[in-house]
Amino acid sequence: MPLLAIETSCDDTCAAVLDGPRILSNVISSQAKAHEGFGGVVPEVAARHHLELVEPVVEAALGEAGATLDDVDAVAATAGPGLIGALLVGISAAKGIAAARRLPLIPVDHLQGHVAANFLEPEPLQPPFLCLIASGGHTLLAGVRDHRGFELLGQTLDDAAGEAFDKSARLLGLGYPGGPLIQKEAEGGDPEAFEMPVAMARDPGLDFSFSGLKTAVLYRCRELGPEGVQERRADLAASFQAAVVEQLRTKLKRALKKGEWEAVALGGGVAANGPLREAVAALCEEMGVRLKLVPIALCTDNAAMIGSAARYTDAIPHPGYLGYDAFASGETKAAAPH
Amino acid sequence: MEAAAAAAGGWEAVDLLAVGLGPGTFTGVRVGIATARGLSLSLGLPARGVCTLDALARGIPETADSPVPSGDIATKRNSSVLAVLDGWRGEVFAALYAADGTRLWGPAVYRPEELGERVAGLEETPPAAGSGAVRFRQELARDGIPIADDSDPAHRVAARHVCALAAVSAGEEDRDGLAPIYLRPPDAERWRERDAFQKPE
Ligand SMILES: [Zn+2]
Repeated sequence: MPLLAIETSCDDTCAAVLDGPRILSNVISSQAKAHEGFGGVVPEVAARHHLELVEPVVEAALGEAGATLDDVDAVAATAGPGLIGALLVGISAAKGIAAARRLPLIPVDHLQGHVAANFLEPEPLQPPFLCLIASGGHTLLAGVRDHRGFELLGQTLDDAAGEAFDKSARLLGLGYPGGPLIQKEAEGGDPEAFEMPVAMARDPGLDFSFSGLKTAVLYRCRELGPEGVQERRADLAASFQAAVVEQLRTKLKRALKKGEWEAVALGGGVAANGPLREAVAALCEEMGVRLKLVPIALCTDNAAMIGSAARYTDAIPHPGYLGYDAFASGETKAAAPH
Repeated sequence: MEAAAAAAGGWEAVDLLAVGLGPGTFTGVRVGIATARGLSLSLGLPARGVCTLDALARGIPETADSPVPSGDIATKRNSSVLAVLDGWRGEVFAALYAADGTRLWGPAVYRPEELGERVAGLEETPPAAGSGAVRFRQELARDGIPIADDSDPAHRVAARHVCALAAVSAGEEDRDGLAPIYLRPPDAERWRERDAFQKPE
């Protein structure tokens, strides 16, 4: 029962074809180059690129899966949260594809998608588990007890972890996207060279905060001046990265201490960070819980995870979805009109 | 969209998809084109884009009593016409058309005064219609541009004109030809240009 899924919530145009929990194709067209010069994702630029890319990406996903639309029996698309203009391109294309064939449409929550990446083959992880999702758009701890949803245990109160990476990379003159560039720069640096605030360490809850860290990088850069930054760039990158990892690790440990969880999963672009993966692996070993690491291509935004979540999301039969809209970040999900 | 297809006898009875390419709101233009691309891919039908100002112009001067015939591109008007859409930020999207429907200039973004001046330099003053003509009626009237009452149907872009134009256009029949007509760069690009300009080095 192949399912076509489309994801366009941020700056990657993605389409995938799934057969149950099996990925038949998972195509991702990154726009990172288009946003490089801006040091971050520009919503209007992202939406324009999605429109150019969505159809070729869907065709590529079908082609790689060796399928045609005749084989597809439902179309899923990310409904939010995300950049509204970007989301609308994916939802509109999905509606057009589905409506032409009177197929059901499945609007998927993007965050549930990150959780559902863990349900995919090979070796799908079954709930219950604790899922740390960290990317340029979101940072949260999700308590996953079934396939259909999750409990929000904690989230960032300001910047997302990936956003802190991007902003700090810009301050250090490293470019965009910040995550991989900082990790690479940090390889030759001393993580203890600069003192960075480990925010929320004393806060008893499970929420995160990264804006103070970005400010600390800004001050260090000012003190050092352009030449000093150039000289100490590796140390600055390493110190910053270590502080982000430490905060994520601390909160994860705190959630695990309650003893409720036997498995941990990571999702989101920041989950591709090597030192974070190592720190979480060590923590899981220490706490005696299982760690599930999906491949990096399933951590960053992709449509396979949207298809995976769609399997456990109510489909809207044709033509009930023609009036369905996307929802932006910060909005509550509108009830699907039936 | 569905209702129109159903009235025509279902998608099976449709052999060409037509879509307005803008100018309009960035998001609105994209929703239309993305939907058309999805339908086109799914139905295996060709899709053609039409400049929204062309479609608007085709309905000028149209009234409820004398609609412009939809099958024939020749509009049998006796004057040139000006299609003007509200472009927000105090600006309009506009284009000028000859009596036979040929686009003479535009589409482009103008301040209403700028458009008025440009039209004032023409031999004959064309009537204007569209959301921009309604919004900037006062400014455009200063240059003697006739504009019908706000309730006049000529101010609205009719989908049948989009279809009529697509049916006769010799344009790209490929879905890749469905490029939106934005007329403005994304704001961030403007900032980048401005910042680059202001940098001393
Ligand atoms: Zn994401």
